[in-house]
Amino acid sequence: MKWVTWENVGIDRIGCAWMILRNIDPKATFVFIPRGTAIPPDAEPFDIPDVRFSHHGGHCSFHALVDHYKISDPVMHRITRIIDEADTVQAVNIEPAATGLDLICEGVRLISPNDHAAIELGKQVYDALYARLALESGQTTAGGDQ
Amino acid sequence: MKPWLLLVYRIPREPTAGRVFVWRKLKQLGAIAVQDAIWVIPQTHRTREQFQWLAAEITELKGEALVWDAEQIYATDAESLRRQFTEPVEAEYREILAALKKKSPDLPSLSKRFQEAQTRDYFASEFGRQAREKLLAAAEGSP
Repeated sequence: MKWVTWENVGIDRIGCAWMILRNIDPKATFVFIPRGTAIPPDAEPFDIPDVRFSHHGGHCSFHALVDHYKISDPVMHRITRIIDEADTVQAVNIEPAATGLDLICEGVRLISPNDHAAIELGKQVYDALYARLALESGQTTAGGDQ
Repeated sequence: MKPWLLLVYRIPREPTAGRVFVWRKLKQLGAIAVQDAIWVIPQTHRTREQFQWLAAEITELKGEALVWDAEQIYATDAESLRRQFTEPVEAEYREILAALKKKSPDLPSLSKRFQEAQTRDYFASEFGRQAREKLLAAAEGSP
């Protein structure tokens, strides 16, 4: 399936692309369009205002995908919380990784020649984050070795 | 990038939860309602993104929203708008600096307050730089 989002990806769009490939559509291809331009009719849009996979009820687009596709993996839920705290205004902030991941994702785009390359590199960042958080899954408290 | 972002919105009176949601977000971002009419915030990559999403969420709550990229061309008091953003943040930094002078300050909680203040420090306050230095110095000094 073809998926479309705005160019200059950051934490939420990189995370969404990673999760789409990992959990939803392994053969996904991505199209990046300039902010505010028309959405191609043959593609599923994400992280663009007013589409279904977007910010809703104070949550990020990653959250909308996790919710719609009923992803039950607790590690993915933890990552959802991290992106929520980084990318939306939250009253409660309990994930110290949020700020760091946000900066790293901005940096990933800065050192990548285009959005496709940023997604490729960003996938490794999220794979690494997943691997580390998976060590903790099942624990009730975070960061056992901190 | 122009220095300011402006937001004007209207939202149905009921349900009140929607109104509260929007108002809280604006407060948390540190936006200011100028003349109780127009919400203003200094433009950064982050505030631009946040205002745009908030506008989309207002639309979703059956309201109407408009967001502009703006430059101030006249003001009775040119610095007044800027001061409204810097004053609360600087007051917070000064409190942190004062607390650091006391005997055995609570460093973990002061550093949290510092981080919190930083998210609304749109004009890179000198007090922020000082607070950072003093916090680091206090950490060096503590056993």
